[in-house]
Amino acid sequence: MTGTTTDRHKPRTTDGTLALTNLSAQIDGLAVQARLTGPAAHFAVAQQSVLVDLLTLRGHFLGRVADYEQAAQLADRLVENAPDSSTALSARARARATLHRFAEAMSDLDAADRAGARPDDLAAERAAIMQAVGCYGEAHLLLREAAPRRSDFAMLSALAVLHAESGNIAEAVHVFQEARNAYRGVSPFPLAQLDFRRGVMWLRDGELPAAREAFDAARRRVPGYAPAIGHLAEVELLCGDADAAADRLRPLAETSDDPEYASHLALALRAAGRYQEAQPWRDRAAERYDQLVLRHPEAYSDHACDFWLQVGADVDRGLQLALQTLVMRQTTRSYALVQRARAASNQSA
Amino acid sequence: MADHFSGPRILFDPASDVADVYAFPSPDRPGRLVLVLDVFPAAAPTALFSDALAYRFRARPVTPADRAFTVGEAEYSLDFTFAAPGEAPGSEHPVQNGTCTLPSGEQILFQVGDEKPTETAGVRIFAGPRLDPFFINLKGVLASDATEKLAFRPEGATNILEGMNVLSIVVEVDPEAVFGSDSGPLFGVVGETVISGGRPTRLERMGRPEIKNVILASKKFDPVNSDLEIRDLYNEEDAFAVRQDYEGAYRARFNANLAYFDRLAGETVWPLDEQGAHPLTDLLLADFLVVDVSKPFSENGCFEIETALLAGREHTTCGGRAPNDDIVDTLFTLLVNGVDGNRISDGVDQATQPATHEFPYLVSPNPTPPDLMTVFAALMAPPEEAAA
Repeated sequence: MTGTTTDRHKPRTTDGTLALTNLSAQIDGLAVQARLTGPAAHFAVAQQSVLVDLLTLRGHFLGRVADYEQAAQLADRLVENAPDSSTALSARARARATLHRFAEAMSDLDAADRAGARPDDLAAERAAIMQAVGCYGEAHLLLREAAPRRSDFAMLSALAVLHAESGNIAEAVHVFQEARNAYRGVSPFPLAQLDFRRGVMWLRDGELPAAREAFDAARRRVPGYAPAIGHLAEVELLCGDADAAADRLRPLAETSDDPEYASHLALALRAAGRYQEAQPWRDRAAERYDQLVLRHPEAYSDHACDFWLQVGADVDRGLQLALQTLVMRQTTRSYALVQRARAASNQSA
Repeated sequence: MADHFSGPRILFDPASDVADVYAFPSPDRPGRLVLVLDVFPAAAPTALFSDALAYRFRARPVTPADRAFTVGEAEYSLDFTFAAPGEAPGSEHPVQNGTCTLPSGEQILFQVGDEKPTETAGVRIFAGPRLDPFFINLKGVLASDATEKLAFRPEGATNILEGMNVLSIVVEVDPEAVFGSDSGPLFGVVGETVISGGRPTRLERMGRPEIKNVILASKKFDPVNSDLEIRDLYNEEDAFAVRQDYEGAYRARFNANLAYFDRLAGETVWPLDEQGAHPLTDLLLADFLVVDVSKPFSENGCFEIETALLAGREHTTCGGRAPNDDIVDTLFTLLVNGVDGNRISDGVDQATQPATHEFPYLVSPNPTPPDLMTVFAALMAPPEEAAA
């Protein structure tokens, strides 16, 4: 069941470091907001919508919250300037969904629908949101609706992740491989993301060697892929190699503005018995989580809850954030978080 | 824009986005053929060639036939591949090396950005960032599309690509030495980006300028596929042998959109036949530059060989396409006013800095290029204002 999937088909993609350099070069070339009127407005909206997606992509790969925030701001301005553009509204929906503002994202997609967006394009966007909030049945139906208009790779990778998240591992393994076989580009990012999602599936399933293989494949394709490196460290920690996890996390914690890496570094250092060394990273994560929970509660309350329940060592705060997450999203994961926080609270009482 | 951003797929993979292809006899070495492939539109100074692509020129002998060209079987291809950048002694920045593979299989190594061209018997090579040589009044083109009237205003017209850079590959070949003594002198030329190794999937290809972005992009006149973004599909095609499965879709789009251009001046110069076929469709669907390497270099040869063919006369120039050629004017003139019609001007007559007559022809890159969105800010104006 957990057999590695990468050997049968090895698509050639651009060197990951080179591709990240070109991604930043492309973002730099598309940088500033324009006033949108006249016959070129449609063209400019399309370009800026691409910029929103490129910023989100870089934010994901390099673990840069600042990129997500810039994408969200750009998308807001885009809609402000072109309120009737379905392209602008869809771009804002994606930017909002990245920050887990799912209700607002859905509302943008409804507006894009009224503005004339293609129903099958919207179905794909809606499917991603339904999946994120745990409505897997609805997501599956929407994906089927979107299928005729999407590339084989986009469709299959979305389906693979859906199977993985809904716990249908055997089917997910099969579809992950199909998606990989269907890839036709040279950008390394989609394949690295596919391996990353495969790793997340195995990690949640407790299959640590398979998870390690998948995260490592993602990291090899795009060196510096922050979430893949972060999860590799998590696997190492779970396997009892706290020092290796700390070594892997330190460069990320130093450069990323996402507190998850500082938090996990503190955890790894504590597990290695290096308590004094752990403290500044714990404090740094605490400060940053406080900022992010204020700015983007939908996206960071659950991560902050994890932090306070573990290395943050403030169970009450963790419980409060777990409840806040549940109010925002009534998903299986949110209920599990509350349960975990309550258990920790009872234990500490 | 000539072929910049020609389809949604390519927007996420700029190193494979072909911006322009040029083919012309060398101005300083008569008889030699110069080929230029520009990629990565609006490239920031840090942009690099992909190490997973082959950047390819393909040339085939062509002969004039009835209102189109017959393509010969022989094919001469030049493949350019690149390594991931590495450290180099004495350089602060990573250095990227490239390899040119000739039709014979012989390989020539070169370094990206090296201002001193690499030269071996019969071949000269440059690869690296350059100032984008293309120029266009995009505002006028888009206003024409929006208003369905010619909307070029000479005063205040600006080149959207002013100050922008691209990544360029420039190669000069002695056709006799590199292609063989029985080749030419009339060649059909295309530039492509192809996945190297594994499945050789074509990502982009370009022959004549503005076929995709100006002629094919608009969906609104197409009676068959009015919701189809046809450019991604078209990019995958072999320019010398379009797949029959999709040929009908391309023909429908060409016929409809070429008829729209013919309506812009109010007078029909290209009457459709009984089946609704436009007289230029066959010629343009065979989408390659046609260059005569036996003629001297000309800066204004683009479409001349094609128009001579349509007019039933001998061509007088090298044809092909040189960097300073004002092809937007030439194309609109041909589509709107016919073969020998009055010259239409979009009001933008040259690039940021014209190309030179010395290898590598394209001038040095702008170290501080404008970002594309600032350029768009200058581009905007209501269609009524933009219309003449």
